[in-house]
Amino acid sequence: MHLTGFDLLFWAAGFIENLGLLFVLWYRRRAKNFPFFTALITLNVVRTIVLYLVLRLGTKANYFYTYWSLALLDTVLQLCIVYEVASRVFRPTGGWAREVRGSFIWLVGLSVTVAFGLSWLASPPARTWAQSFVTKGYLFAEALMSELFILMMALSISARLPWRTHVAKIAEGLGAYSLISMLIETGHSYFGVGREIPAFVFLSHVRMAAYLACVSYWILMLWRDEQPGRAMTQEMRETIFTLQRQVEYHLHQLRSRKKL
Amino acid sequence: MTTHNLYFLSAIGIFVGVLLSIAAYYYSRGRRSPQVSWEELVKKLTWIDRNTIAQVALDLVDESGEPREAGDAANLEPAELWKLIGGLKGLEALETNSDVLIDLAFYLQQWYPEALVIAERLRLDARELKWHVARLKGAAQTGNLQISFPFYAQRAVVSYYLMTRRLLDLYQAVNFSMLAKLQEAL
Repeated sequence: MHLTGFDLLFWAAGFIENLGLLFVLWYRRRAKNFPFFTALITLNVVRTIVLYLVLRLGTKANYFYTYWSLALLDTVLQLCIVYEVASRVFRPTGGWAREVRGSFIWLVGLSVTVAFGLSWLASPPARTWAQSFVTKGYLFAEALMSELFILMMALSISARLPWRTHVAKIAEGLGAYSLISMLIETGHSYFGVGREIPAFVFLSHVRMAAYLACVSYWILMLWRDEQPGRAMTQEMRETIFTLQRQVEYHLHQLRSRKKL
Repeated sequence: MTTHNLYFLSAIGIFVGVLLSIAAYYYSRGRRSPQVSWEELVKKLTWIDRNTIAQVALDLVDESGEPREAGDAANLEPAELWKLIGGLKGLEALETNSDVLIDLAFYLQQWYPEALVIAERLRLDARELKWHVARLKGAAQTGNLQISFPFYAQRAVVSYYLMTRRLLDLYQAVNFSMLAKLQEAL
């Protein structure tokens, strides 16, 4: 695979920025709060090194299998981050609120359906069935991620859950990046995939530039401290947990009444 | 461009447009809400005589919100209830105030994120209150308001009364400096 100077510049910039973000995550002690996000950034650093070495020293087949194994791991980690963000935003007291949990499950179902519909509609000009499947798969994953992060933000703000925290910044960055990536995947589905297609190369550079902007945003936001919360007294904590049980009981009553 | 591609690109256009609109709407709402000061929120409350609210509510439940014994409850006459509550207009004021009470709980939640459960409880009370008021509005349309009013209106007032009590307890528990002003407003 032939790489231009521009490609290498983006590659090097991405590697340095990922290292910078990893430094911020550990130095500012954010890593223990966001283990999956830290794992994703670590994977990005490791991936750059491994792929570079495989490209220089390995065969084409080695590169193919390494690339796709790491891409699969990347997608799994992104889904884990969705869970990480949701669990930190929607269960600040340690238990999922029933009302929010119901809406969240509904939201995930809707997102999967819409993303599936969009990828089903796409008809990329691919040479092989596998290439078409991969392009559609990418479109599905990016559409799903952008939906989940944006709808999670909407749900938390409408439920007036705390959103202006580090977890919100991670979700905003990933939401924006996923949306841009989805538009890029739309371009791939329309123009086709392959380094011989100028539109494909241009879109790849746009994606890398968007990622660099996103990582810069995370470095800045995660370096800053979030607004400190005040500690609750033991008495207040007990009152709140008693209330939580009452809420569940009354919710059950309301639901039974609705069914009548 | 084929028809299939046109459908695909239109679907993507609609999808992105909807997502961006949702993001812009909620992002601006999220940024705007913390800027509303506590005083502005309290100003949104419609003045309601708290003694009247307590009188109507405590006719049905005790101070902790538990229903009174059958022989000891619901002593107020329907005409008296109508007068004390101020009819449907009075109930609509309670409905509007219930949203402000939730906002006041969320205001505190900015400093005490774990107070979320109290806010959830208030939202549940507000839903109950609105459910009763909706029944009365339906009854008014079918000409059954007089029959239904004592039952639903008194329960709506109980929900509102408990909301105010819970909110005051929350503010008291965290020693919030505005407690006195809130007590005055409620």
